[in-house]
Amino acid sequence: MAHPPCKLACPILTDVREYVQLIAERRFDEAFATIRRQNPLPRVCGRICTHPCETACKRGQIEEPIAIAALKRFASDGPWKNQYKPVLPDKPSGHKVAVIGSGPAGLAAAHDLALLGHHVTIFEALPVLGGMLRVGVPEYRLPKNVLDEEIQAIVDLGIEIKTGVRIGAQIKLSDLFEQGYKAVFVAIGAHKDRKLGIAGEDQFEGVISAVSFLRAVNQGQNPKETKKAAVIGGGNTAIDSARCLLRMGAESVHIVYRRSRDEMPAAQEEIEEAIHEGVQIAYLTSPLKILGEDGKVSALKCIKNELGEPDASGRRSPKPVPGTEFTLDVDMVIAAIGQAPDSSLVADELGLTERRERIIVEGPYTLVTTRPGVFAGGDAVTGPATVVEAISAGKRAALSIDHYLKGESIPAIEPAKDVEKVSLARSVVEKTRKFPRCKKISLPADQRLRGFKEVESVFSEDLATKEALRCLHCYLGARIDAEKCVSCLTCVRVCPLGIPTTSKMGEITIDPFACQACGVCALECPVRAIDISLDPRTEIAQDIKKAMSTSQHSGPVIVGFFDLHGNFDSSDVENLRQDYPHVLPVMVFGLRRIDTSDILKAFECGADGVLLARCPPESDPFPEATDRVKRRMAHARALVEALGLDGGRLEICDMPEQGLVQKELIDGLIQRIKEPGQVRSE
Amino acid sequence: MKSGSNLERILEGGQFAVTAEAGPPKGSSPKVIQRKGELLKLCCDALNVTDNQTAIVRMSSLSGCVLLKELGVEPVLQMVVRDRNRLALQGDILGAAALGIRNVLCLSGDHQRFGNHPAAKGVYDIDSIQFIQMVKTMRDEHRFLNGEEISGDVPFFIGAAANPFADPFEFRVTRLAKKVNAGADFIQTQGIFDVPKFVEWMKMVRDRGLHEKTHILAGLIPIKSVGMARYMRNNVSGLSVPQEIVDRMADAKDAKEEGVKICLETIEQLKEVEGIHGIHIMAVAWEDIVPRIVEEAGLMPRPVV
Amino acid sequence: MITLEQKKFEEIEKMTKGYSRLLVLGCETCSAMSFAGGQRQVEELASAIRMAQKTSGQEGEVLEDAIARQCEPEFVDLIRDKLAGCDAVLSLACGAGVQLLSERFPDKVILPGCNTTFLGVTEELGVWSERCAGCGNCILDKTAGLCPIARCSKQLLNGPCGGSMNGKCEISKDVDCVWQLIIDRLARLNRLEMLEEIFPVKDWSPAGHGGPRKMVREDLKS
Repeated sequence: MAHPPCKLACPILTDVREYVQLIAERRFDEAFATIRRQNPLPRVCGRICTHPCETACKRGQIEEPIAIAALKRFASDGPWKNQYKPVLPDKPSGHKVAVIGSGPAGLAAAHDLALLGHHVTIFEALPVLGGMLRVGVPEYRLPKNVLDEEIQAIVDLGIEIKTGVRIGAQIKLSDLFEQGYKAVFVAIGAHKDRKLGIAGEDQFEGVISAVSFLRAVNQGQNPKETKKAAVIGGGNTAIDSARCLLRMGAESVHIVYRRSRDEMPAAQEEIEEAIHEGVQIAYLTSPLKILGEDGKVSALKCIKNELGEPDASGRRSPKPVPGTEFTLDVDMVIAAIGQAPDSSLVADELGLTERRERIIVEGPYTLVTTRPGVFAGGDAVTGPATVVEAISAGKRAALSIDHYLKGESIPAIEPAKDVEKVSLARSVVEKTRKFPRCKKISLPADQRLRGFKEVESVFSEDLATKEALRCLHCYLGARIDAEKCVSCLTCVRVCPLGIPTTSKMGEITIDPFACQACGVCALECPVRAIDISLDPRTEIAQDIKKAMSTSQHSGPVIVGFFDLHGNFDSSDVENLRQDYPHVLPVMVFGLRRIDTSDILKAFECGADGVLLARCPPESDPFPEATDRVKRRMAHARALVEALGLDGGRLEICDMPEQGLVQKELIDGLIQRIKEPGQVRSE
Repeated sequence: MKSGSNLERILEGGQFAVTAEAGPPKGSSPKVIQRKGELLKLCCDALNVTDNQTAIVRMSSLSGCVLLKELGVEPVLQMVVRDRNRLALQGDILGAAALGIRNVLCLSGDHQRFGNHPAAKGVYDIDSIQFIQMVKTMRDEHRFLNGEEISGDVPFFIGAAANPFADPFEFRVTRLAKKVNAGADFIQTQGIFDVPKFVEWMKMVRDRGLHEKTHILAGLIPIKSVGMARYMRNNVSGLSVPQEIVDRMADAKDAKEEGVKICLETIEQLKEVEGIHGIHIMAVAWEDIVPRIVEEAGLMPRPVV
Repeated sequence: MITLEQKKFEEIEKMTKGYSRLLVLGCETCSAMSFAGGQRQVEELASAIRMAQKTSGQEGEVLEDAIARQCEPEFVDLIRDKLAGCDAVLSLACGAGVQLLSERFPDKVILPGCNTTFLGVTEELGVWSERCAGCGNCILDKTAGLCPIARCSKQLLNGPCGGSMNGKCEISKDVDCVWQLIIDRLARLNRLEMLEEIFPVKDWSPAGHGGPRKMVREDLKS
């Protein structure tokens, strides 16, 4: 079965589809476990990941992609996270591994190596752990207490920490091997800011590199006060710096970027938030010269650009327009035009020649360096990249090191190939019911700037569930068993999206990418030739039996089929269990999946009554398909009555605005079961 | 003369013919037919005996015809293809000939669903047009349908029904032509209430020269009550009853009188239509009114030829 | 296709009473396409029969199966083993299938769970209508592709009769008068003059009135 686009787009192949489905099913602890098994820093990623999964998400072709990062945060922030316990192997391997750097690459490597049974020591140059997560990303995007908790969970696996140690300075790589470490992972990140290269850069007080600025801010230090600041650059670091400056009381903050908005490398969301908070962005503007007075920065002379021919990066290169010079009054200039790794301390030992910036690895997928036993990954190798790419490097390094320690050859773990984005047919898009993406909940701009409070809040259970239900379940859809298929064309006729097509000879094709796993064809097929991976019919039958096996005889046993698209939360389920322990819920992705034989099966297994609960129509992605349930229910009722039972034992109702089912309805059904022959409510 | 029947002689003699209908009883008493025969003897040139009309089982037409003959009334044997296959049809034609019956009306018959034995199997071995053709072959060529020779004569004046008001309107004349080509010597139409529409149809009939190849008798149904008018308008497919007729019946002080009046007015208009060689009065459950209508239409006494 | 309707459950329940081991056997071609007796209906019906047995205190087993077509001996023989322990089969096939089962398993009681209706077409999902009477002598070339034997209530070959009104048959407003349709279509094709000729009487023997029909292809049989 093909991987869904969200998984393929993720550098660590996160099982996005799986945890989103679990959230939709209100199985939040399992959703978290799914995430956490693959990712040791889910609360970080849920906040600051660039979410390539969202860019690839098929829902984006309908209206907007699923808010996957927000869902990850919801699943990872919840109280159930504490139930997750990673399992360490019984016997340690006996090998020691040194991890240099405690950023995301180092932390991920350490985590995975520990789970593989190796003893890990992290060497961190700074007095605090986290790398750029701690000293780069501001508090209002990633609160330090969250980071602390995530790191602690990793450290609790038995990882040794040595802060304030700069490898290459006090201790060389070779020293580590002498100390008994069998392998080393160099994950020192990219913390060296590029210089602006303009006059006045080194002359005046108030010209700061973004890295050192952010490091100071993130460590609670107050750099020089500023009223008017300019930030030069267009990446996330520039945006982070600008937004921090506002919170530190700057009256005006200008970002000076040499190209236009379309070329800005910063994440769109970040740019939008910065503008929302009041950062002014001067596009197509390059700095010429820093001016000063009394040894302090007083102004920044700039020039406007126009875009010319594309350069090596493929972006159109900025060309200054003569005569457009102007001056910005500023008392601080922050240089945020890009970072580079600083490998000077280990360059000799690793045989690095040119430039002493990026560390060269031989196999890009094995992460081996020229020196045996030494591996490298993350920003230190690629230059500044994203958190999840760093985590991916850490995880790959752990696997490579594990093979190495076992004396095995190191397989190249090739990343998934860039898959061409498949477009949905226009007719499918048109026929898909639109549900807007749940908006993120952010602090209003004025409240934000009074401090460094976290700007975004986590989804509530209701919103998270609603958002997760927008998922289109890529590749979990219908599959036809060609041997059973009799080409009756029913699936072609009943599909709400018009997806199955027939050849002249009756060979039916269902596009697995387009199918949204609604379940209608699998139900309507008269020869049961269609299987579906989401809520398979066999599973529904098993769920009925399972539910019946838990029945206690405290009242008439009622099997209730509830639509997961209803507006209910886990407390509603709990309340139902408590108030009506003899009402056994079977949850389905859509009441449209329930066939006459499912209703009969419930009775056959001993149920005294059956309740079918439809979700509110405004939440139903396939309302017409759901409507047909009435007819199947009428047929079931006719059979039930032909069997001599009262038809009132079978009820279809609408789920309330909030909750699973109205008390009166259940009470009415129970009453009718006890005293048959009464008038039904429908 | 093809059959030498009274009806044939009157029509061939260029006279305006009058025929009527006598419905047999849902029982075995000969008295019903006998009474109707006596009633209508003098006011019509031939009297149709219906054949399980509207698929309701009644005494057979053939026996009704024999009873009429005994009274000296000339019968028209109605035969529907709904209830008999080609064997029975031919056999009964021979029997009818032997019994001296000389007029036969070849019909499809109302579908058995309408009748009192709706679960019956409808026969429909041959259709009405094929039936006409079959009788003509028996008469003119002395041959059965299978080509075998018939001994003796089968002297029948062959009739068919025509409905100027059934759909498709444009095809009706073609269907009439087919019946005429099959051998229909005379035609009795469905009851006429919408004279202008009937006149339109007759024009098309004349354009094809059919009025010269067959004798067309215009059908009339005297209306007894406004309920009957409404019922015919709304429930009987093949009848075209204009709203004004219903209104006249509704507004009338004496419904029956109005019904007679409408019937007489219609007859007067029909007399003027070129190609109409007579009238066929279907006084359903109101046979008693026929003598008066024929009288007041100025068609009494009936010619003796 | 052949269209079928499942018999009312009351009738099926009565028919299947008293058998200790009943096989509900579906047919995955015409019956499945009529939504009368495919695997889906087999499941439903078997479930209902089991519940009926339980209610009436009957001890018994109800098995389920389905084969591609019950009118082919090779398919029918494939369930021989399954039938071994059964005393009755509720066949959801058409009359032909039920009878072939009876022939192949003369010691078993074979019961018909469906009523076979007609040869017809699917108009849309859930709606089928009769088109062919299987009369053995197709005249559709002469009637513009519309069959008066299957679709005229009186099987007229020289129709319409006097009861055709507004394009509907005298028996019901829901039934089209096929002769109206034939006339319309011939007119559309400029071939209306074809109906001037009198259509001769029909030989009904190939239509079954000559006795039960059998077709033998000497070039195919062994």
